[in-house]
Amino acid sequence: MSKALPLRRRTDWVGILFAVALTVVILVPMLVVITWSFANVWRFPSVLPQQFGLKFWQMTLARSDVWSAFGLSLTLSAVVTAISAAICLPAAYAFARMEFPGRNVLFFSFLAGQAFPKFGLLVAIAAIFLQLNLIATFWGVVLIQLVGTLLFMIWIPVAAFQAVDRRMEEAARDAGAGPLRVFWSITLPQASPTIFSAILLSFVGTFYETEGAWLIGAPQIRTMPVLMISFINNQPVIQYGAVLSVLLWIPSLIALVFTRRVVNSGSFARGFGG
Amino acid sequence: MTSGSESGTKPGRGLIGLLLVIVPVALFAWMTVWPILSGITRALSPEQPDGTRALSISNFAEFFSDPYSLANLGVTLWTCLVTLGLLLVICVPLALYLRFAQGKLATYVQTMAMFPMFVPSIILAFAFIRVLGPNGSVDLLLNAVGLPKIRSPYLTPWGPVIGLVWDNIPLTVLILVSGLGSVTNYAIEAARDVGARPLALFWYIILPRMWTSVAVVVSFTMLGLFSAFTLPYVLGPASPEMMGPFMQRTFGDLRDPDMALTQATVTMLFCVAFGLFYVRAVARNRGK
Repeated sequence: MSKALPLRRRTDWVGILFAVALTVVILVPMLVVITWSFANVWRFPSVLPQQFGLKFWQMTLARSDVWSAFGLSLTLSAVVTAISAAICLPAAYAFARMEFPGRNVLFFSFLAGQAFPKFGLLVAIAAIFLQLNLIATFWGVVLIQLVGTLLFMIWIPVAAFQAVDRRMEEAARDAGAGPLRVFWSITLPQASPTIFSAILLSFVGTFYETEGAWLIGAPQIRTMPVLMISFINNQPVIQYGAVLSVLLWIPSLIALVFTRRVVNSGSFARGFGG
Repeated sequence: MTSGSESGTKPGRGLIGLLLVIVPVALFAWMTVWPILSGITRALSPEQPDGTRALSISNFAEFFSDPYSLANLGVTLWTCLVTLGLLLVICVPLALYLRFAQGKLATYVQTMAMFPMFVPSIILAFAFIRVLGPNGSVDLLLNAVGLPKIRSPYLTPWGPVIGLVWDNIPLTVLILVSGLGSVTNYAIEAARDVGARPLALFWYIILPRMWTSVAVVVSFTMLGLFSAFTLPYVLGPASPEMMGPFMQRTFGDLRDPDMALTQATVTMLFCVAFGLFYVRAVARNRGK
């Protein structure tokens, strides 16, 4: 391994080894799932499906439980993201730009939740929801997923507001613009790409949130990931799970395209303590 | 949190700032601080036969004298340690490679290493079963060349290990590569000029600068693994089970919130050092 360190010019065997190993381990399982979703017939011991086709896409898309789970997941994600943006973005602006008592303590307090194992925390919340009759309700799941977005939706936008060029704001103010006008025309446009990434990540993260939905929502609230668990555990027809996996994956691919720059930048790793 | 001090010195603005942050702060306090305090209190004060609650460690005595609970705790610790070991063995070389390599191949390797971040764990679980499960793709290929089938890791303790390693590769690599940023090319070249061999270079120059990020990876991963739910629930054995599924079953199926809270408190206690270290590392990075 240490032989890879020198920057000598020669065939990058280590790189080839990593590339091949990661392709086999990471890409191939995904290709297997995609193949299953297009297999009309695939019986052991054939290495490839005996018959390809869209039969199970039609059958999965004709299932009402899939559509109701999909609708519920979209509604949940939209509601959670909207509430989160409404309460977190003003707070992020205040943290970035205003001076008030306890600002640093409150800002870093959102980290405290990260110091606990997540599922243990969820169980503690669930015990309180049990007393409040929020178990197995839509708003119970909204609340638990909302808490999961707070850190993200405050910390990323704070960085965005801090990165806005102050001189442009001052120039606009010198030219006679009021504070709101400066915010709408100067501050927000500069901060919005990063804020958009945070909103998208929060939407997608909520869409895939499984543990809170399973613990708080079961058995009434069946989101897409919860439906997927029951397909894995109880559905003998493999293709249903395969088609649902591919469907379920689409939001993540969209997020991949739009947030790749944020993820590849060093600040993202630093956000995790790297 | 460095800017902002120059603005908002006008009286009254402090109040506006406080008003703007009060809702998320209150929500956070109600949904994180309060459940933890109340959960630990409930676990420490079991309900007496007459319906009142009194301070007692009887819930914990019950947990630590129950062989099944201890087996679950044991399999959780085993899974954490094995997963962590495998992650470091895979990701340290990978991060070293990505830190020093350039070109298209390195970009491809990085893309592949980041890819699992965009695969939800529930899809990963399904793919795992289709590849490594009974009559999965590995069995199909082995069968095609006339070899016997594998002993599938599905529904054994190795199932969650493989899934969790896969799932944790991207963040581990990201944190390690970011930590390796403190190793300058200049330091490497200087060491090489005085004749340091690759192994010495790694041992004396790179490793000392990696410890912090390795420690961050260890604490971050331990926190995640100790309370992992989805992958152990879907891929792991029914008995013994990891703490995540165990807590869920105690809460949801056995309808025993007090015992579930006791289990949650135990997992929190096991993670307290990792949690504090991790939060300190994140806060320090953000404070920069």
